[in-house]
Amino acid sequence: MSNTTTRPPISRRALLKGTGAVALASAATILPTPFLSRAEAATLQIRALMWEPYVLPEMIAAFEAEHGAKFSTTFFDGNSEAYNKLKLGGTRDFDLVQADGFWSRLYFREGLIRDIDLAKIPSLANAFPTFTYPDYELLTSEDGKSPIGVPFCWGGYGITYNAEQVTADEVGSLEVLFSEKNAGHLSASARFEENIALAAILVTARMGTQGSARPDGKPFNPYVLTDEELAGVEALLIAQKRLLTTRYQDLGTLNNLMRSGIVWAAPEFSQVYRQLQGMRRAGETVPDIQHKLQAKEGGLGWIDSWMVTSGVEDSEKLEVCHKFMDTILKPEHMKQIADKAGTSTCIDIRSLSSDEERELFLMDRTTELKGLHMFDQPSSPEKWERVWSNMESA
Amino acid sequence: MNRGLFQRWLRLNESQRFVILTSPVILFLTLFFVIPLASILLVSFWRTESYQLITDWNLQNYIDVLSEPSYRTFMIRSVLTALIVSITCVAIAWPVAYFVIRYGGRYKLLITLGLAVPFLTGIVLRVIALQGVLGPIGLVNLGLMKLGLPPIDALMYTKTATVVGLIYLYLPFVTTAIYLSLLNFNFRLLDAAKVFGAGNMRAFWEITWPLNWVGTVIGFALTFVPSLAESITPRFLGGADGTLYAMAMGSQFSATGTWSLGAAMGVVLFFVAGLTLLTISRLVNLKRAGFTGAGSRD
Repeated sequence: MSNTTTRPPISRRALLKGTGAVALASAATILPTPFLSRAEAATLQIRALMWEPYVLPEMIAAFEAEHGAKFSTTFFDGNSEAYNKLKLGGTRDFDLVQADGFWSRLYFREGLIRDIDLAKIPSLANAFPTFTYPDYELLTSEDGKSPIGVPFCWGGYGITYNAEQVTADEVGSLEVLFSEKNAGHLSASARFEENIALAAILVTARMGTQGSARPDGKPFNPYVLTDEELAGVEALLIAQKRLLTTRYQDLGTLNNLMRSGIVWAAPEFSQVYRQLQGMRRAGETVPDIQHKLQAKEGGLGWIDSWMVTSGVEDSEKLEVCHKFMDTILKPEHMKQIADKAGTSTCIDIRSLSSDEERELFLMDRTTELKGLHMFDQPSSPEKWERVWSNMESA
Repeated sequence: MNRGLFQRWLRLNESQRFVILTSPVILFLTLFFVIPLASILLVSFWRTESYQLITDWNLQNYIDVLSEPSYRTFMIRSVLTALIVSITCVAIAWPVAYFVIRYGGRYKLLITLGLAVPFLTGIVLRVIALQGVLGPIGLVNLGLMKLGLPPIDALMYTKTATVVGLIYLYLPFVTTAIYLSLLNFNFRLLDAAKVFGAGNMRAFWEITWPLNWVGTVIGFALTFVPSLAESITPRFLGGADGTLYAMAMGSQFSATGTWSLGAAMGVVLFFVAGLTLLTISRLVNLKRAGFTGAGSRD
């Protein structure tokens, strides 16, 4: 005879017990939440508005551990995008920000960034003199009194070209980027400011207006143009459009296009040049890719910098911001940046680099920066927008 | 529910209950849709000068958007692209959904859920993956070149590439809408039509198609409106000549910093999309489509 047992139904008492246990467990979890939140809030948050290729996760993790801070990043592509983000309340949302060229002074003028203390950034002692005050003035306030940022990486917006298809003579002029001969084998970036400024250098050279009186009374700057010059730029960019394979959105695309031999010449920050030269030197089948830093009509250049936003008022946070800048400017980290982002650094890392790297990263050519027009704010974003829209819709 | 509360709930009339039940949604929409939209509308009547917003009330941004040939061109390109994408999606989705319903058997739900697989990744990743297929050294053209055939130029950074990309992105929405419509369709009506001498095509065009018109139109709208506002796909696939309206609009808020013009472009886009939905809703005759709406009183 089988002795079967039936499971008793859950009694009211058992149900109450169970419910009580669940309630207690929930309370135990929920009640300390405000205290946990407060503990979390006590962790110093450092929020950076920066270019994506410059992120060094391992360095950031070590920095967070050392300083008990939480480092978060937001990325941007062009200077005007970062500027717009800061203008729209970003000084409260970000503590550290990157920019290049003249933008740092604009930020300072508009109260978006604050002055810093260079004595708290000893790593700056390793910077090439070309990038420090007084040789380089754009990271000091216009009255020359306050340091407003530290130099980080530098470069030009030269022409990367396939030396098997385009000669060094041809690439000596910006005309190569607008030549019918290269139709279907050209590319340009999607950045509207640099496209217009580079075309402006060629247009003003053709018009012979670079040496004449400029609208702002200052020496020639491709970001300050007359209406006639802008009309010339628009016509030139429209004519160039049908010669382009595409406007590359990211360096990976340009890398593919040049590696496959489809694109012969494109203006870029020389990162793709370095990537492809590296591959070629490693024995991969890659065309002979070279880079021209400055054409005879002129060229564009930039120095990326780190700055502290005006939202940082707390001395503890300011201290950690200084420490971050000092940490990332250490030669060993700058070497990692160069390897990862493919950019030349403002810090001298020659002792950590091979002869090949010294050549590829222009480490012995830092003085050439003087001849380049620094990235700047368009004199009239509204007029430049119209030029760009007219070109895109043509 | 507390008995007293329940009694009070019962004493409320239908309108009061409606207000209480819909108020969370209304609050949510007001906070996250109406207010942002109103702020965009406000900014569109201001102007920007050297990245500064100036509260100088004017209509110039609208005059520019409507009269400048460049913005009109972007809009025409976007409308045409959205139309081609939506019509193509409907044309592809119909046989797919029909096949799944008729022959999917017990796997039809699984097959339909399979349509959601691409959504496990983000849109940017999907578009970049597509670039790897359609690009100059993508799968298609590399394959052709390996076979000694010339690459297809139309697939390399062109408007066609944008259209292909958008179809890939939005096809699952249309297929699902038509699938759900067909799910409730009584296929015995086709047998009845055939008994009375209708051929397959006639039965389809006179019975299946009109009775599933609602699902088709919803699928069309679900593709048309987002295609109209697409900026990522043309950015990566469209090439130098492929700028669409939303792409140009997006750059007003980032690169060029001409926010008020961008806001006006946004308002115009909103109205064009709204007008499209209104037109589409006029095309739907619910009674003719066999849809009365569950719970409706007519």
